[in-house]
Amino acid sequence: MGDVVLRMEHITRDFPGVRALDDVTLEARAGEVLILAGENGAGKSTLMKVLSGVWPASSFSGRILIRGEERRFASTHDAEAAGVAIIHQELNLIQDMSVGENIFLDRYFMRSFGIIDWDRVHMEAAKILERLRIGGIGTRDLVRTLSVGKQQMVEIAKALSLSASILVLDEPTSALTDREADDLFRILRALREQGVCMIYISHKLDEFERIGDRVQVLRDGKAVGDAEALSSVSLDRIIARMVNRDIREKYPKEPFAPGEVTLEVRNFEVDHPLLRNVKKVSGVSFDARKGEILGIAGLMGAGRTELVTGLFGGLPGAARGDVRIDGKPVAIRSPEDAIAAGMALVTEDRKLLGLILDFSIRTNITLSSLKAVSNALGVIDPMKDRGMAERFVTELGVRTPSVEAAANSLSGGNQQKVVIAKWLATESKILILDEPTRGVDVGAKVEIYRLMNDLVRRGVTVIMISSELPEIMGMSDRILVMCEGRLVAELKTAGATKEDVMDYATGNRTQEGFR
Amino acid sequence: MKSFFRTHATLTALVVLTAALSFLSEAFFTPRNLSNITLQVTIIGIIAVGMTLVILLGGIDLSVGSIVGLASIVVTLFMQSGWNVWLAILATILTVGVGIGVWNGVWIAHYRIPAFIITLGMMTIARGAALVLSDGSSIPVTDPVFPLLGGEYIAPASSAVILGLALALFLFATLRTASRQRSCGVSVGARDIALRASFGVAILALAAYVFIGYRGIPYPVAFLIALILAGAFMLSNTRLGRRIYATGGNREAARLSGINVFRVELTVYVIVTTLAAVSGILLTSRLNGANPNLGNMFELDAIASVIIGGTSPMGGVGTIGGTVVGSVLIGVMNNGMSLLGVSSFYQLIIKGFIIIVAVWFDVMNKRRKA
Repeated sequence: MGDVVLRMEHITRDFPGVRALDDVTLEARAGEVLILAGENGAGKSTLMKVLSGVWPASSFSGRILIRGEERRFASTHDAEAAGVAIIHQELNLIQDMSVGENIFLDRYFMRSFGIIDWDRVHMEAAKILERLRIGGIGTRDLVRTLSVGKQQMVEIAKALSLSASILVLDEPTSALTDREADDLFRILRALREQGVCMIYISHKLDEFERIGDRVQVLRDGKAVGDAEALSSVSLDRIIARMVNRDIREKYPKEPFAPGEVTLEVRNFEVDHPLLRNVKKVSGVSFDARKGEILGIAGLMGAGRTELVTGLFGGLPGAARGDVRIDGKPVAIRSPEDAIAAGMALVTEDRKLLGLILDFSIRTNITLSSLKAVSNALGVIDPMKDRGMAERFVTELGVRTPSVEAAANSLSGGNQQKVVIAKWLATESKILILDEPTRGVDVGAKVEIYRLMNDLVRRGVTVIMISSELPEIMGMSDRILVMCEGRLVAELKTAGATKEDVMDYATGNRTQEGFR
Repeated sequence: MKSFFRTHATLTALVVLTAALSFLSEAFFTPRNLSNITLQVTIIGIIAVGMTLVILLGGIDLSVGSIVGLASIVVTLFMQSGWNVWLAILATILTVGVGIGVWNGVWIAHYRIPAFIITLGMMTIARGAALVLSDGSSIPVTDPVFPLLGGEYIAPASSAVILGLALALFLFATLRTASRQRSCGVSVGARDIALRASFGVAILALAAYVFIGYRGIPYPVAFLIALILAGAFMLSNTRLGRRIYATGGNREAARLSGINVFRVELTVYVIVTTLAAVSGILLTSRLNGANPNLGNMFELDAIASVIIGGTSPMGGVGTIGGTVVGSVLIGVMNNGMSLLGVSSFYQLIIKGFIIIVAVWFDVMNKRRKA
């Protein structure tokens, strides 16, 4: 292991209302793979955005030192010039250009008169691929024709063509098959020998020992202890560090006696939107009952959103499985069918998928219940329309001067209440909430939890996806844990620990009877 | 409120332009001239009502101009082959209007091919079909009833009665809405009601001056007015209207809210082509003859009317009232410039600039809001 090439000192980054990074100090050395571990929202990606110039130097406090020299990046371009390259989860290649063109994108070798020397571009690209010992990729192949694993290698080659000495990889194996991951690790080991410093963000514990040298844990935007050598620290200890022990927020959970099964799901699967023969969700079976809150835990990308969107008919053609509601088989091919069957889905991204931002609160709330406020000819009764909106605004305590106010004038918490109101207005028996409190202030969070209690009391089946462990532990009666598109555990909240959930979610353990 | 302001801005421009033209040209503010303007506005106006819905969805329909030409030929050929006038009209509306609308709509809404591409293709296809069917030449209309549709007027006396009834109905509706709103706790100022009422009275007084002062309400204008009222009611008071705005505002959110966005989009694309076919039939009737080149570039005037009227080209925001103001503005401008002897070449340039300024206005408005 070599010298310290990167030192980030006392990095603090604030977003409105949230401190995303709080006095984080981190060191990385030449010729090592430093694992950056932590729960969703712990600040890993923000820290790497700070490092790679996505957030300019003026947006955070603290210092970045590369080989002992302080650097202030105004853009990703500056960071690249200093030898910092980042490979994002979503690949940034131009699909309809060749491998060579992508590697040297906009930095082509030129002849005189501004003519690109294509032979040289492809020759140099081939040299880099050779240095990485990547076989089976021609520099004139179109990127579109390569598998995701190969495309990732092209990204790495591109980073190296910038002579990057610090390489950040953000969950690089999330879309790879096991064999592709093996190939990637082989390449990373080769780079390690060549003295490249790598920072590797991952959720998968089994990868830590396979590829990592040291591990640094982040939690709630803070570094937990110093980085430790993976040879001297147990995985259990890493998990314990990742999980937050103190519950600072109140969860007003009320106990209820679970009633009969309302939703039965058997062998549900969802196709990957882009890749053939890859499933985002496979073999998922579970029951949900009246009078309970069923939590679905898992890491980002575990397939939870795809599962519920598929159940709701939001992914026509890509989702299949046997679904029964109140014991009767239902065929849900569109959200329209789902609503008719008594299901509601509060989507994860309220601005993109939940609200019509130009609409008023009134028109947003009644959007899914237009039949209830109009006559047989389709003419809306303005009094019923307004009455329904006002009833829910009062019931949910949406803070607004009028139901005519535009949805985009509201705060995050109030917007979320409007989305929930839209679904309550449909009088559904099964309410699915996907990350219901993301981006919502603490006060509104508690109000949303109270509302969930109310609904359960009224006999609604509530299913809640959450990436926040304390929320899952604090509000659900039962917890389903998903990992890589599969259900890996079903836990009774009473008696389960956060460490258990994390253990299953990271794929470290699978409960008996699953998979 | 924002879209009301935008309509207002265009409306102000229209009032100023009208006042200026009345001052500059003696022939402008006469019942005869104004009545002619309404007739000229009507043909594009009918299409623009449908185009408003399309643009509200964030789409576009470039095929409407060619559909005017095709409908013109088809309806005349049907009559030539001995069909009854009404049967010929119905058959034309179903084949040229609804038929092409379904074709466009399925490509756009089901296969998700950009509307620009599909309707650009149809623009060429429909024009080609019109030329093939007519062998490239005009066809005279021989039926004695057909020319009346586009050329006749409702007698001044009957027109007066209609306008009187409209005034009574309008005042009644205004007061009823106000009292209903008040009964459920919405405060409506007396000044607001007075403003709304006087605006309506002014419009109807102008209509009376124009139509009773000349030959009465032209049939096509009566049709357009009915269409505008129906369209505006549909958009603001029915499920379909709400669904159009929602789909245009955020298609994914609308879909996940249980709206069948395919059905909404298909319906709208059928409405616009159907209205284009109707417009083509009325124009043929007025000209008393079919021509395969009729309606050339009409799509551009229709789109311009909608955009100048404040409908956002991104979809989701806009009104039919705005479109009406936009088409009248274009109509008055064309007429005024002709009266003042401005060449039609310059008219094109000026119209282009106005479209750009209108969209710039829209974009600036959006940015201020964000």
